[in-house]
Amino acid sequence: MEKNTVLKRVYVWQLPVRFYHWLNALCILILAITGYIIGNPPAIQSGTEAFKGYWFGTVRFIHFVTAFVFFFNFVFRIYWGFVGNRFAKWNNFIPFKKSDWKGMLRIIMIDILQKESRPLRKIGHNSLAGFTYFILFIIFLLQSITGFGLYSAMSTSWFPKLFSWIVPFLGGDLQARQLHHVLMWFFILFAFVHVYLVFYHDYVEGRGIISSMGGGWKFIEREIK
Amino acid sequence: MKINSPTYWEAMQAKGVNRRDFLKYCAWLGALLGIEASGVGKIVHAMETKKRLPVIWLHGQECTCCSESFIRSSHPVVANVILDDISLDYTETLMAASGYQAEKSYRDTITKYKGEYILCMEGAIPTGNGGVYCCIGGRSMEQILKEAAEGAKAIIAWGNCATHGCVQAAKPNPTGATPVRKLISGKPIINVPGCPPIAEVMTGVIAHVLTFDRIPALDSMGRPKAFYSRRVHDSCYRRPNYDAGLFVETFDDENAKKGYCLYKVGCRGPVTYNSCAIMKWNNGVSYPIQSGHGCIGCSEQNFWDNGPFYKHLPSFPGFPIEKTADDICIAIGAATAAGIAAHAITTNIRKRAEIKEKVEKGRIKNIEKEEGVNNG
Amino acid sequence: MAKRIVVDPITRIEGHLRIEAEIENGKIVDAYSAGTMVRGIEIILKGRDPRDAWAFTERVCGVCTTVHALASCRTVENALDIKIPPNAELVRNLMFSAQQMQDHVIHFYHLHALDWVDVVSALKADPKETSRIAQSISNWAKSSPKYFSDLQKRLTNFVNSGQLGIFANGYWGHPAYKLPPEINLIGVAHYLEALEWQKEVIKIHTILGGKNPHPNYLVGGAPISINIDEANALNMERLNIIHKQLKDAKEFINQVYIPDILAVAPYYLEWSKIGGGLKNYLAYGDLPTNGYNDVSSFKLPRGIILDRNLNEVIDVDGTDEEQIKEYIAHSWYEYEDGSSGPKHPWHGETKLNYTGPKPPYEYLDVKNKYSWLKTPRWKDKPMEVGPLARMLVSYAKGVPEVKGLIDTVLGKLNAPASVLFSTLGRTAARAIEAAVVADWALEFYNQLISNIKNGDTRMANMEKWDPETWPKEAKGVGMTEAPRGALAHWISIKDKKIDNYQLVVPTTWNGSPRDANGNRSAFEESLIGTPVADPEQPLEILRTIHSFDPCLACSVH
Ligand code: HEM
Ligand code: HEM
Ligand code: NFV
Ligand code: SF4
Ligand code: SF4
Ligand code: F3S
Ligand SMILES: [Mg+2]
Repeated sequence: MEKNTVLKRVYVWQLPVRFYHWLNALCILILAITGYIIGNPPAIQSGTEAFKGYWFGTVRFIHFVTAFVFFFNFVFRIYWGFVGNRFAKWNNFIPFKKSDWKGMLRIIMIDILQKESRPLRKIGHNSLAGFTYFILFIIFLLQSITGFGLYSAMSTSWFPKLFSWIVPFLGGDLQARQLHHVLMWFFILFAFVHVYLVFYHDYVEGRGIISSMGGGWKFIEREIK
Repeated sequence: MKINSPTYWEAMQAKGVNRRDFLKYCAWLGALLGIEASGVGKIVHAMETKKRLPVIWLHGQECTCCSESFIRSSHPVVANVILDDISLDYTETLMAASGYQAEKSYRDTITKYKGEYILCMEGAIPTGNGGVYCCIGGRSMEQILKEAAEGAKAIIAWGNCATHGCVQAAKPNPTGATPVRKLISGKPIINVPGCPPIAEVMTGVIAHVLTFDRIPALDSMGRPKAFYSRRVHDSCYRRPNYDAGLFVETFDDENAKKGYCLYKVGCRGPVTYNSCAIMKWNNGVSYPIQSGHGCIGCSEQNFWDNGPFYKHLPSFPGFPIEKTADDICIAIGAATAAGIAAHAITTNIRKRAEIKEKVEKGRIKNIEKEEGVNNG
Repeated sequence: MAKRIVVDPITRIEGHLRIEAEIENGKIVDAYSAGTMVRGIEIILKGRDPRDAWAFTERVCGVCTTVHALASCRTVENALDIKIPPNAELVRNLMFSAQQMQDHVIHFYHLHALDWVDVVSALKADPKETSRIAQSISNWAKSSPKYFSDLQKRLTNFVNSGQLGIFANGYWGHPAYKLPPEINLIGVAHYLEALEWQKEVIKIHTILGGKNPHPNYLVGGAPISINIDEANALNMERLNIIHKQLKDAKEFINQVYIPDILAVAPYYLEWSKIGGGLKNYLAYGDLPTNGYNDVSSFKLPRGIILDRNLNEVIDVDGTDEEQIKEYIAHSWYEYEDGSSGPKHPWHGETKLNYTGPKPPYEYLDVKNKYSWLKTPRWKDKPMEVGPLARMLVSYAKGVPEVKGLIDTVLGKLNAPASVLFSTLGRTAARAIEAAVVADWALEFYNQLISNIKNGDTRMANMEKWDPETWPKEAKGVGMTEAPRGALAHWISIKDKKIDNYQLVVPTTWNGSPRDANGNRSAFEESLIGTPVADPEQPLEILRTIHSFDPCLACSVH
């Protein structure tokens, strides 16, 4: 059944959400790069004396500073999940309703397996994306508590100390590091797939999803009755 | 039998120590334990009035290196500990009596000094198969430990065996080796991990109990804070090399000869809580890292299963030994990239019609503005 | 009817040993030796990185710490065909020597001496006379009357305290104690001095391996790098500590240990006829001077003596699957094929299968399985291993230092060589070995210095470090001489992991239960005929068993 549609411009991503998104993406980029270097420092043959250099310490410093930015940016996003617009609301992410699960199944059919060709009409996140972000948020949390748990051993400040319990809980610093390290890979894989899917949706649906994280606007079909 | 034991002071007098040296000794002991000068008077008093503390030292699944480490102590030397400070009433390694006579020594102490003796446990306790994997005098270690713990004033769990299970508890733990803290509750337990612990940490813990008449402050894992609150890495003398990014790449390479950091050959210093780098071993002579080998994390729980020792990242459970999390994740990453590529190609085939339709129909006709209000 | 007595725990050894003995007319007519603790380290090693095995196997024992690490590195190097640099061989020899000296001294003074020295009798000694005797047997400085009277005072106070600690319920006053009070007092003095000394000599391990117990090893060499112009490596200050300890060790052994043996032995000469036990002796040899692969370069030679025939030394080969094998006829294990063996270690299996009585128990079921030790045999023959075996093989092979010292000692005691085949002989052989090794260790040190002087600072061969360079399958055996005797590890590596790892340990040879043919191993055999004056105080059993320096953690692993 052929229908006529027009595109309607909708303000979806409020400025704080966009700001959060790009700051977050930047933090993760920096954390993954510095973290990878911490885990696998390159072989630099050097004749210098140790006192002349501090580059590895600097890499770690950047990691820790960025970690704080990352964490509080994330805390801010949680706050915005309660006060932001309906697309920013926390309930976008948690599949409470049966329809959320049904929606996810449909997305899989349409976008992943490509058994159906009709795009789903959703303004904010589709339910699968929302759920993925939910998982991602949990991983943000895990990464933060393992990170600050590890950091608590090198810090005298009260804040990282709040997380010191995680280390014995996981069975030691090595376990905490192993988890922290593996989770880095989760972010890398997520970013791959996420960026691809954003491009994919833009390409297939033409609703300006990429630019929506810039200006906040999406273009949504509306049927012409 | 009437106990008429000399106090430390008396014991030292008997050794020909004069009052002045005795006070010096107390001050020095105070300095060792980090007591301020005002607290030294307390030590003097304690040493003047106390009888020797009865100690029962049990041996479970162990290699006896904790006992061996103990006798290496330099301050105090162990001869003084066992002749002047404690009454080591039972330890299979050193006691004169065997068999029935040994058991008698044990029984005498747990009955005569009920509630007063310190129980030291060296080794893990096998709980598999009814405890048959470690029996002494026909009784299982588990039976003996439970009995001895009953009347103990406090328990000291020596070494990684008694605190975490150590090598016998490494996968697949064939005998059900179990640490003290998982079997005994309702008693203060001082966990002194390490494989073995540093000698002076061991005698330091005992001296602490004797001198201050209370167990040392413990961290959340029951370890004395005085010895286990820092990572080896935090006090490692190679740390400047770490911060400067100067690493040994393989053993005995140029960098090794310059004493660079051992991080990349697997050093567990960054994840290991112990005093090695501060106190060093065998009276301050060296410690693993100073002698060119990375820390293997011997005071940590499960350190045997965190191998291989020469990789900074351990191998990933269920995968071949030489594969770390990175290798596995890179493989997953490659698979994902391939998946994305395949998906992109399929998209261009299967969604072709839809994309074309939209491009050709040019749908943008009417644009309405919707306010970003909270109506969701 | 024979009376069965049980001694459990046997103390002043490493680990959990139980002896059940049948006594008739004041003599032992049959004996059973049981190891009552097992950890399953061979099971735990499966599937792990071969380069890590040294650390696991080192934890087999903290008393003979390092020897398993050494055997393990050699095993892996043998399997992967890795040759280590000469300096690494010297470092290993130095660590070996330090271990041997320290362990032998500890054994004599802290584990064995109280079988011969009556601590309580020392209270009656005359300090002046003690001093006279001490000065007549050695030049050791601590021998003044004041020194001994101070010590005696300290001891008196200790005994008067009523808290006898480790000396409580000892066999003091037993008729088998024969030493005069003065020699007993010397014994007590040296007990304490040896306790001080042992913590010094092991600093050699601390320098070279970072700690003791359980210093670090490295497959392919040694972890410590040499750089005499660097604070962070083996430099002159580090070498000086080693040198000082080696010189002090030599002095302690020659001025204290050997004189004490010579002073005590004449009072116990009847023990040169007791406790001989088996007639076969096995040594793998060690202390290579031209690389481990050149057996002919070993300071301590390899070989077997059969039937106490010192005119012939037979070769031993760990790779020959017909030579060394293990039975489990009386051990709590199960072989896959249901047999009780014997199996060569490359085909060895470790599957725990306890069939003994449920604890608490009174007696073991000695007709069936009764120990956690397996029973190793060489061509189906039981073998004694240890310092005595090593000294006999060295003597028979004519190692000049050993031959010289043995002849001197026998001369001083005015005794024939046959006295060596005994409880006393074992104890004397250990001291002789310590003295010989003390000399050799200084040679190794000098060799190391001369290598460095000549510009060779190599310490590790890392060519085959990367598992990618390994063959798909490999097999190896690594041998050494632990303080308590011949020690070997066998490995098979498959897909870069340990497929099978088997240890056959000195005390496994000596302390094992009988084999499938009913032949006794060394502990059991040597107890036959031992007198027991008072079954309630089995001092004589301790003497013979202690002469082997048992290590049960080792033997079972
Ligand atoms: C997206 C977020 C993050 C990523 C991808 C990331 C990644 C990494 C990686 C790969 C390592 C090296 C681990 C190893 O191989 O041993 C590391 C180390 C570490 N990270 Fe993060 N990290 C993130 C967030 C955080 C946060 C929020 C903290 C909080 C403080 C943190 C603290 C640490 C600390 C303390 C270390 C250990 C550094 C050291 O011991 O020198 N990380 N991180
Ligand atoms: C070129 C890079 C990127 C682009 C164009 C992009 C674009 C977008 C878009 C369009 C959305 C909304 C998706 C939807 O409607 O379902 C979104 C959401 C999101 N993206 Fe990205 N993204 C990029 C990189 C990243 C990276 C690197 C991360 C972090 C790993 C990330 C994390 C997220 C998260 C957490 C959300 C949910 C936002 C929220 O509601 O709070 N993005 N992104
Ligand atoms: N038996 C034995 Fe050991 C030795 N020496 C080692 O191989 O003691 Ni623990
Ligand atoms: S903790 Fe380590 S050193 Fe102590 S007995 Fe156990 S294995 Fe030996
Ligand atoms: S050698 Fe080990 S403990 Fe020392 S700085 Fe390097 S990583 Fe840290
Ligand atoms: S291996 Fe153990 S001895 Fe210290 S340096 Fe590491 S904790
Ligand atoms: Mg074995």
